[in-house]
Amino acid sequence: MIKSFFRNANGIAGSIGVLLIAAVSIFAPSIWGKKAHTINVVNGDKGPSGAHWLGTDRLGHDIFYQLLVSTRLTMEMALGATGIAILVGIPLGAGAALLPERVRMIALRALDTLIAFPGLLIAIVFAAVLDPGKFSAVLGVGIGLSFSFARVASSLTLAIRDREFISAARVVGVGRTRLMVRHVLPNIADSLAIATTVSIAAAIVTMAGLSFLGLGVQLPSVDWGRMLTTGVQSFYLTPFAALGPGIAIALAALVFGFFGEGLARAANPVLWPGSGGDDDSATATADGPPTVDDPYEPVEDGVLDVRDLTVSFPSGRKRRQQVVRGVSLDLAPGETLGIVGESGSGKSLTALAIAQLVAHPGVVEGRITVNGTELQRVPLKEVDRTLGTSLAVVFQDPMSSLNPAVKIRNQLIEGVRRHRGLSRAEAVLAARRRLGEVNLPTPERQLERYPHELSGGQRQRVLIAMGLMNEPNVLIADEPTTALDVTVQAQIMDLLAGINAEHNTAVVLISHNLGLISQNCDRVLVMYAGRVVEEVAADRLTEAEHPYTRALLGAVPDMAHSREQPLVSIPGQMPDARSTPVGCAYHPRCPLAVPRCAEQRPPLQLNAVGHRVACWVANSDEAPAGAATVGTATSGDGA
Amino acid sequence: MSAMTEVSYSDGAAPSEPLRAPRATNPWVAFVRRRIISVVVILLLLATVTFSLVRLIPGDPGVIIGGTASTRAEQMAIDHRLGVDRPFLTQYWTYWSNLLHGDLGRSFVTNDPVTTILKQNAGASLQVAGLALLLVLAVSIPGGIALGALTRDRRHRHVENWFTGIASVVGAMPELLVATLLAYAFALQLKVFPVGGTGGINFLVLPVLAISLRPIAILLRLVRVETLSALATDYVRTARSKRLPARTLYLRHVLPNVVTAALTIGGLLFADLIAGTVIVETIFARRGLGTTLVNAVLSRDYPVIQGMVLVLGVAVVFANAIVDFLLASLDPRQVSR
Ligand code: SF4
Repeated sequence: MIKSFFRNANGIAGSIGVLLIAAVSIFAPSIWGKKAHTINVVNGDKGPSGAHWLGTDRLGHDIFYQLLVSTRLTMEMALGATGIAILVGIPLGAGAALLPERVRMIALRALDTLIAFPGLLIAIVFAAVLDPGKFSAVLGVGIGLSFSFARVASSLTLAIRDREFISAARVVGVGRTRLMVRHVLPNIADSLAIATTVSIAAAIVTMAGLSFLGLGVQLPSVDWGRMLTTGVQSFYLTPFAALGPGIAIALAALVFGFFGEGLARAANPVLWPGSGGDDDSATATADGPPTVDDPYEPVEDGVLDVRDLTVSFPSGRKRRQQVVRGVSLDLAPGETLGIVGESGSGKSLTALAIAQLVAHPGVVEGRITVNGTELQRVPLKEVDRTLGTSLAVVFQDPMSSLNPAVKIRNQLIEGVRRHRGLSRAEAVLAARRRLGEVNLPTPERQLERYPHELSGGQRQRVLIAMGLMNEPNVLIADEPTTALDVTVQAQIMDLLAGINAEHNTAVVLISHNLGLISQNCDRVLVMYAGRVVEEVAADRLTEAEHPYTRALLGAVPDMAHSREQPLVSIPGQMPDARSTPVGCAYHPRCPLAVPRCAEQRPPLQLNAVGHRVACWVANSDEAPAGAATVGTATSGDGA
Repeated sequence: MSAMTEVSYSDGAAPSEPLRAPRATNPWVAFVRRRIISVVVILLLLATVTFSLVRLIPGDPGVIIGGTASTRAEQMAIDHRLGVDRPFLTQYWTYWSNLLHGDLGRSFVTNDPVTTILKQNAGASLQVAGLALLLVLAVSIPGGIALGALTRDRRHRHVENWFTGIASVVGAMPELLVATLLAYAFALQLKVFPVGGTGGINFLVLPVLAISLRPIAILLRLVRVETLSALATDYVRTARSKRLPARTLYLRHVLPNVVTAALTIGGLLFADLIAGTVIVETIFARRGLGTTLVNAVLSRDYPVIQGMVLVLGVAVVFANAIVDFLLASLDPRQVSR
């Protein structure tokens, strides 16, 4: 937290500024006090000069020194107001959050409205009731700011209360204190620190406004706002008398704002992209050009044909890191192909690349042919039409994959309306039919709903129905059941199988779960570190030869555990794209590795049994014996 | 930690598969009822606080307002007009019955009815605040979305850096400074607009700009970031996978979610504009509710103070209520909240 605070420019600029302001507030009055208070009426209302950098005011005060000297009073009042805001706001907010449910709702809404009350207005009211002056200004501005603290305090209190509820229910006794210390306290500290700096900035500005209106600091005391009033009065003669304090106010507010933003970034780096050093390219090892090594004959009349697909991302300066490295695959009409691999194997990225959904810095190379149209060869419009009509993707998380602000109906029909030119009524009719096909009861009613009114399983059905709207030839389902309950999982898989059988839609099923894939697919592609390492018919999976596939087979758990980490029993970790080892990427984990594995990458070769393997050992003669020693389980399909 | 993962996993899992039972009442009815209750509660509070203002004056209001030079009779007359010489509840009752009859009392200074003063000044303030609000929305929402589209996926990093830099500086500039800078540049140097006063459209330009720039900078940043995060959502990826034209993608899938985020701080922005109006009216020497309020405070004209605070407060409350309804109609999830 501290480190990342000082790593962002705002944090650094903010801290330097805050230190400067503090130093000026402390030392300026004793050093320049005399200069600032010297009256010289003859020399009044003069513009900037060598002797007076910002000129003089009506009485001949030097504006620059007066600014420096009045920093103390300005800051004292801003800090005082923030102090009051904290003292009043936190008990207020915490108290409101602890009220019984119904009253609490009203209290919190009232708090929301109070926050929306202009702080200046509240401060003016205080000035009206008490005598306008330092005291009423500090009190008024403080009360005006206290509601934001109340808000922070109330949401934190609610959070703590809810967490305590969870911990009381789930982790009896021991866990609670640790939960508080570990999770709740840091959050409080962060939010309060941020709220404090932001509110100091707000206090400076509001206080200046108040003094400017003549309702804050009264002469002979002078703060920046008061100086601004004097300045505005002689604006025609010397605008710098007004611009000087104006800029000082803005700078001080900016400094505290930066400081707060720096804190916020440090506290929550995820929310603030671009704040961290993600450019350390020290470990990057750029790949050479993709090596075409598999003699892959395309299937005639295939619905999908992918050749040497690579996806790369920039890594450091002028370097690109391949994450998918030369993947080739094809798909016949009505076929079901499974792609299995650990996270980071490049399987999901392969799907995104096929659907042309890889975002900007990522670059996709290779040839993708969908339904006879080679995407790289045709204009963008044709790409849109081909993909829009022939290919559909069902994503992993049904909870977030539907737009919360758009009715199911419109999300379903926009694709067909666009690509098939259906009228609204026709499209709605089609949508209703599709919802029926995915077994959602009362389709008419579902059409009028918003996503938040549906359960996760229902939403996944909607997404599948959405994919079917254009009667695509290929449906890519990327971990379609990972986010769902076990029982719903099975229903969704049945649904996909039904669609496959009924419409002859080819399906690409992507999963980390070999059990799921082997039960639902004709063919299985195993991916490791961005490459296909083995391709095998699902019913001959037990004959798989690649040591990694064997290990996966051995690790396939029974159905009850299939959701969580089925791959734990393979020792070691998959390398990330930056540090993929030379030779066979699997060799650091491979029990069969021979010296050659660390030097040369094995090509994907057709082997004797009729499937493809990329492994030196498997493709040599003693392969079967070796494979047998790896397989820890004889039957892994869990059926 | 693994225990926590387990817990949150089963918490986050889907609700049971069967359809939820249809709600007995329309959620909108419940939503409107809740909002009306809270608006009424806040208005009651506001009126009560306004009423109590004169009672909170420390010491004898008559002495403080009349000053030490006034006679005892004058002081008692002031107390009588403020009603502080009668019991709290009696006076509170009178206050409400006057209020409901549209009677806000008379100014100590000019003896005009407060409602007349309001009518004379509200128009000028509304003009400035209303135009500023329109300007802020018209610039920031389309501008922020365009900036978001331009800088999506970390494209055009230099645009992003320049924009963020400028916007954070402008966003930190108080109306006070913006107004003086504008007056300096456009009125003193270029002489294209008058420095101050009330009049035609020319007199409106600088005040409106002065209170709009800061909210524009803040909202532009917010809208840009919201656009970026909307573009990065799974649902926009889903929409992209349907290969929709960019227009549909932005208008249907990005805009509503961006507007929702912009509106959540809409109430705060409006408050900013009101406070800003008070300041720029003084700087540009314009007539309006703000200057009226400030002068009333300086001359301790309590009936006028009470009237202005009440009216500005009601404006804030209603602006918030409107924002709430807009939000709910844009984001259906808000209705059930
Ligand atoms: S090539 Fe070598 S390291 Fe790679 S899987 Fe085969 S045996 Fe193991």
